Amino acid sequence: MRRPLWPGVLPVFGVGLLLAATAAPSFSRQSATAQNPPGGMVLDAKCVIGFDDIKPGVKGTLTSLPTGLEFRAGKKQVDITTSSIQDVFTGRESRQDVGGVSGTLVETAIPYGGGRFVSLFSHKVDVLTVEYADSTGGFHGAIFVLSAGKAEALKNQLIAQGAKVSTHVNVPEPGEGKP
Amino acid sequence: MRSLGRIPIPAILSFALGGAALLTAQPARSGKPEPAPEQTRKLTASAIQLERIVPPEGLLIPEDTRISMYENVILQLIKTKKFQHVYRSGDRTAADAPDLVVLHLIPEAFKAGSQKEREVITVAGATSIKVKVQLTSREGKVLLEKDVEGKVRFYGENLRATYDLAKKVAGVVKQSF
Repeated sequence: MRRPLWPGVLPVFGVGLLLAATAAPSFSRQSATAQNPPGGMVLDAKCVIGFDDIKPGVKGTLTSLPTGLEFRAGKKQVDITTSSIQDVFTGRESRQDVGGVSGTLVETAIPYGGGRFVSLFSHKVDVLTVEYADSTGGFHGAIFVLSAGKAEALKNQLIAQGAKVSTHVNVPEPGEGKP
Repeated sequence: MRSLGRIPIPAILSFALGGAALLTAQPARSGKPEPAPEQTRKLTASAIQLERIVPPEGLLIPEDTRISMYENVILQLIKTKKFQHVYRSGDRTAADAPDLVVLHLIPEAFKAGSQKEREVITVAGATSIKVKVQLTSREGKVLLEKDVEGKVRFYGENLRATYDLAKKVAGVVKQSF
């Protein structure tokens, strides 16, 4: 006799849903805490790349000081002085709500390709890119991913301090302008 | 007349195997890089300087992509362990380096993909960057030129294409020294 398929699939689907449900609120918590810090401080900022002492992709606190920018992750701390800044750019991108290794596991756990449904959930983030020179004149660039709406404020603070900023041509966000 | 259904199974199998063998052999032959004249002799230098990446007029590349490309290439150049010093553009101390080569990355094409499209549709949304890798002497004499393309096809953020590109650029540099 042929056994129905659904009793075997249901637990797997349930586990997938449970994992997705636990992954999504963990993101929401992060954005909730990022809304309350004092002005000029962005908690949970991700330093994508740009510092010799900071591992790429580390999360920390980005603070706008009277002298420039400070990024602190655990015991490590790096500074970009306003006078060394050559340009500042802001942008906006989409990030998957459920991403990384855990996200991939969640997507794989849902049967019949249903994991792709999880990929539909995304949120907007701000990207702050700072070009600066080190003590010997060497060119550096640092990229930070911040919660939406934070990058422009930080850029304005840096401009107010006297950071150099050139006129930019805005590159459309990926997917923007498509029918 | 014999119908198709009567063709013996071993004949079908041998035909399929032959086709598969042809398919696998073809890319291997065409994918084999022809030795470029520049690669026949190895270059020597104790230091390398990476110049700023400036896209040509009309080619729009997001600033974060450009910076990520630059920083990833610096990290990958250090990882090659081929040079005593990896200098950044504008570094005044590079003037003292006795045998310095200058690395230029000239963007040629950029396609902004979408992480969401990649993960949902799989076959769409790839991000790709194509650059011309140019190694010159301090005086500007071209020592090597090669096109390199960085991509992110399935999983990962758009900036991952810059990591892929940086690894390939470092590979070209490693092969040349």
